[in-house]
Formats: sequence, C-alpha cells, structure tokens
Amino acid sequence: MKKLFASVYKEGLLLLRDIEGVLVMFIMPLILLIVIALLQHKSFQNITEEKIQVIVVDFDRDELSRSLSEGMTNSHMFEITSVSGNDSTLLEQARKDVAGGTYQIGIFIPPNTTSVVKSRAVSLVQQQINSAIKTDLNNLNAQGQIDLFFDPITKESFRDLVKSTLMQFSASVEKRIIFEAYSKFIDALTNQSSELDYPTTPAIQFNESLVSEYTSGIVPNSVQHNVPAWILFGMFLICIPIAGNIIKERSEGSLARLKAIPVTYLQIMSGKLIVFVGICLIQALLMILVGIFIMPFLNLPKLQVGGNIVALFSISLASALAATGYGILIGSAATTQIQASAFGSVSTVIIAAIGGAWVPVMIMPAIMQKISAFSPMNWGIHGYYEVFLRNADTLEILPDLGKLIMFAVICVGASLLFRKYAKNV
Amino acid sequence: MDEKIAVNIRHLTKIYKGSTEPAVDDLNLQIYKGEFYGLLGPNGAGKTTTISIISSLIKPTKGEVFIDGYDLMKDLPAIKRIIGVVPQEIALYEKLTAFENLYYFGRLYGINKSDLHRRIDFLLERLGLVKYKFTKLINCSGGIKRRINLIAGMIHLPKILILDEPVVGIDVQSRNLIKEFLKELNKDNTTIIYTSHIMEDAEKLCSRLSILDYGKLVEQGAPNELINKNSDCSSLEDVFLKLTGQSLRD
Ligand SMILES: Nc1ncnc2c1ncn2[C@@H]1O[C@H](COP(=O)(O)OP(=O)(O)OP(=O)(O)O)[C@@H](O)[C@H]1O
Ligand SMILES: [Mg+2]
Repeated sequence: MKKLFASVYKEGLLLLRDIEGVLVMFIMPLILLIVIALLQHKSFQNITEEKIQVIVVDFDRDELSRSLSEGMTNSHMFEITSVSGNDSTLLEQARKDVAGGTYQIGIFIPPNTTSVVKSRAVSLVQQQINSAIKTDLNNLNAQGQIDLFFDPITKESFRDLVKSTLMQFSASVEKRIIFEAYSKFIDALTNQSSELDYPTTPAIQFNESLVSEYTSGIVPNSVQHNVPAWILFGMFLICIPIAGNIIKERSEGSLARLKAIPVTYLQIMSGKLIVFVGICLIQALLMILVGIFIMPFLNLPKLQVGGNIVALFSISLASALAATGYGILIGSAATTQIQASAFGSVSTVIIAAIGGAWVPVMIMPAIMQKISAFSPMNWGIHGYYEVFLRNADTLEILPDLGKLIMFAVICVGASLLFRKYAKNV
Repeated sequence: MDEKIAVNIRHLTKIYKGSTEPAVDDLNLQIYKGEFYGLLGPNGAGKTTTISIISSLIKPTKGEVFIDGYDLMKDLPAIKRIIGVVPQEIALYEKLTAFENLYYFGRLYGINKSDLHRRIDFLLERLGLVKYKFTKLINCSGGIKRRINLIAGMIHLPKILILDEPVVGIDVQSRNLIKEFLKELNKDNTTIIYTSHIMEDAEKLCSRLSILDYGKLVEQGAPNELINKNSDCSSLEDVFLKLTGQSLRD
C-alpha cells in the first residue's frame, strides 16, 4: 500500500510538472466536442425533426393543388411554401430557388389540372352508369401533368420516396373526385342529396415503432450523442501520454532501477492507473459540464444527464479504467515513443469510428452495428446513452460495465506478460 | 555454501536474442563480503550484461547466481532487499527534484517517512548536494545527477552495492567525492562491486578485481598481485593492455 501511495504521489507530481500537457489533454477533446456537436446538430435534426422544404407553384388554384398542399403539410414531413398565380416568372424563380438549395423540391401544378381530373372522373362515371351516353373519349384519356424539380444534391432514393408520396396524395384526391362524381350522379338519379362525405381517414392505419436496440424510442440529439462520444474518445486518447510516460521511464532507465527494487510491475502500473483514471474522470466531468452549461449558449440543446448519479459515476469509472488499461498496454508493448503515439492515435480513431463516436451506431449499416459491438468505446457510449436517455441504474448498465472492466483487466494482464517476456532479451 | 561469499557466479552465460556470440561466456566469479571489487574490461566485454543479470534486469541463458546465499532464480524478493544498483545511465525522473526522486525510491523500499527524511538529508549533505535538494534534475549538471543517481541506488543502505561506471563523464572534484564516499561505505561493511575503465582508480580502490574480455574471465586477483605476476608491467593499465591486447573493440 505504501508503495502504491508512493507511485501515485510520483505520477501525480510528474503530471503536475507537465501542466501544459495536461491542459492540452483536457482542452483538445473539449474543443472537438463543441465543434462536432455544432457540425452534427443539423444531421441529428434530420434524423429527428428536420422537415423537407418544398415550394409549390400553383397555377391550378383549385381542389387538387389545395388537397396536395394540405396532405403534404399534414404528413409532417414537408414544410410547404406556396406561390400561386399564372406568371411564368414565378416558376422561373422557384426553379432557381430549388437549384440554389433554398428548397429541396419544387412542385409545379399547371392551370386547369383539377378540371382535367374532374372531367375525366365525370366521363368515367357517365360511361359506367350508362354506356349509351356518349362520352367524350378525349376527356376519358386526358391526363394532367405535375412537374417536379429537385435540388441536384438530393439522392435518387429520396426522390423516389417523394414521388411515391406525391403519387399517393394525388391518387387519393382523384379517388375523392371520382367518389363525388358518383355521389352527384346518384343524387341526380334518386333526386335526393346524400350527406355522406368521402372519409378523410384511410381504411388501413399503419402502426409503426422503432425496434432498434439503440433508440428504445428515443433518438439522441447532437449533444446527447456527442458528450458521451467525446468523453470516450478523450479518455482513450489519454493512452498516448500514458504510453509516453511508460516508455520514457523505460528508455531513461528508471524502470531498470525499479526492477532492482522490491516493487512489482503491477504496483508501478497501478500508480499510473489510479492517476490517469483520475484524469479521465475529471475530463468526463468537464465534458458533462460543457454539455449542461455551454451547449445552450451555442443554440444547442442542453445535456440531459438522467437522474442516476451512481450509474453515471460507474460508467465513467469503468470507461476510464478501460481507456487507461489500454494506454498501459500500448506503453508496455511499444518499443519507441513514435511507435506508441502513431499506434495509439490511429487505433483510438479506429476504435472510435467503429464504436460509434463519429457516426452513431443507430444509423450505421447493419453489418457495422455488429462489428461495433466489439469496440470498448461502443460499450461506454451505450452505457452513457442508457444513463442519460433512459435513466438507467447501475444494475441495468452492468453488461457495459462488465465488458469495460474485463477489457481493462485483459489489457493490464497482457502488459504484465509483455514485460515478463521482455526480460528474455 | 561459503558464508563469506557475497556474490557467487557459476558458469554464467548470456547470449542475446538474435546474436550468436555470447556476451558473457561461462563466467565463474566469487566476490567476498566486504570486498571492493572491480569488474574491468574493454568496451563490450560483458560488464554491464553481468551486472544486469545480477540485478535481475535480464535473464541469463545458462548458469547460476547466488547472492548472500540466495538463489537469483528463486529468491528474487530477498535479493532485492540486499542489493543496491546504480545503473550506468542516470536513471532518475528529470522533472522531479533531487528530494522527490530520492523520496520516491526510498518509499518503494518501505523506509518510513521520518527515517527517510533524515537519511536523505544526511546523504545529500555527505555528497555536497544540500543546495540542490529542491532543484529539478533537468536543471542539474551531469556531476550532480551522477551523485543523486548514486544515492538513489543506496538509499536503503544495501549490503551489496553494484555500480556500473559510477564516475563516468564527470569532473575530478565530483569523481573524488564519489570515490571517497564509496571507500567510506566499504569501510562500513558494504560490499562494493563496480565497473570502470579507469585503471588508476581501480588500482587504488579495489581489494580485488577481474579483467573480462569477450565475456570471458581473463584474470583475477588483487591489483598488486596482478602487477607482480606480470614482471614486465608497472601498473594495472600495463597489465590490462597486455591481457586484452591493443586492438580496438567495437
Ligand atoms: N540488449 C542487447 N542486445 C544484444 N546485444 C547486446 C545487448 N546489450 C549488449 N549487447 C552486446 O553484448 C556485448 C557485451 O555488452 P556489455 O554492455 O555487457 O559490455 P560492457 O562491458 O558493459 O561494455 P562498455 O564498457 O562499453 O559498457 C556487446 O557485444 C554488446 O554489443
Ligand atoms: Mg557497460
């Protein structure tokens, strides 16, 4: 125990003497957190609430255009801006706006589109009821035409989606017009007026829910995602100074001296582990404080930390142990500083990428979601999600805690083996 | 087992990985308690390798080492309490002060705080380092670092002190101070084993010494004995050159 205290004291002093290094260690991930949270704010809104901007150029000014606009507005997918008239400059301007990205979609409804649909419906009904009545074949085959124009950066799949949505709206409008034509005809035949309107709700309702493991009905916003993501990233990045510390100790010969002293490698490493875990925890706290107090100033949502402080501390501690253990492993295995910092930084970025720090796991392709389950950062981020978004308690995040601690134990164990093997030069 | 033997090296061989030539080749040495023992030899003779094995830094390829009767392979913790090692390079933390370095190593040996404070003060005083107690090593000269390096290796007052070139690269004043200090320690019953390239020093300091070359023991004995044995030599340096040849080593 005395020896452990001595090691903690020494490592603490060494860190304090390198105060610039410590500040860089704290500040860089904080900057990353803020920058990425701002950058991703829009994308997260897209996943969650952002509407598609649509301009409707309405030269029809009749039922069809009205119903289409209404339907699209009610779908909550689109934000509609309508311009009506019959001035072709309106159409020109709308095309420009779409090309410039102000709107993602433009819809041009030419004059008389409604009447084309209507007269076709009437002809259809007449033909149906009494084939003897001579209908105007031109009316039957008439087709209205609606022009769609898209922002060039939209994806084909998105365009298809929009087209089929619009088709659905126009089909329902057409259906209603046909229904009304029938009604009118039958009213005329029976000489009484029916009170029945075409129902506005569809016969079949779709009931949807998200079944992804990650959302549990809640999609995190940019802040809720980025705070845990960069806490984990910052922690794992600490592997570079830890490895540097270990390699320096070795190359400067202090480790050789330590080997002649009755102290074990584990005791020496434990000193480092404790100090750097402390650093990781301070860093996590700073990130959380930034999430709560700074983010709202940047027009970002405020971080919701959930209600369970013990669980929050547990997941932070387990993540810190995993990250520090990883640093100790790199420091023990690498032979030079350059090797350690190159491997440390690149591997941290890879672990972060597959762990869902950059791109949240829930929007990864299925195969990547599977791979992601092997990244310690994923376990940490998932644990934080659970605590932040679902108010999970320590018991509920036990699987994540267990995996992180296992990872730490394996890393430290492997370091001991590496050093043992290193005696056989 | 002879009670008087401090270090007993038997058939010690070390072949480094990737190397075909042994760095230490079937070495047999007995160093007695209370001796001031010199390990001499040209560059690459295997002095540091031998010391590294004794201080359990690396594993031997073959052979046995007993220290104060303890088997190096089996009783390492006991051995670590008996020996003190002063490595060839300055093995200290540059960003810590002299006191912090010594305090850390002292605490690792389990010395209690008040004893440790007293001992550090005494040793700093003895080696003329009082002024530098709170100076970071990075701001100290080479001679001062050497002296602190020396104290760090013997802060626990070991029975056997092993030093690898303790006076290399420092001025005459520092060198003399260190030599005086080692002589005193030796008088107080510390067995001292040290390596050096300075024959004059070895001739004056050592009760006995051995000359190694290519990992093998070439000659062993008291300095006078060796000089007398080789009638054409008038100093240890002559003997050394005669036994190891004039050719340069790599
Ligand atoms: N880690 C190592 N790996 C491979 N070979 C080594 C290693 N360390 C030393 N050697 C080789 O072993 C031999 C003995 O080296 P050693 O350092 O023991 O010599 P030395 O007597 O201490 O020399 P010097 O007076 O230069 O310090 C040399 O040939 C050296 O090149
Ligand atoms: Mg040497």
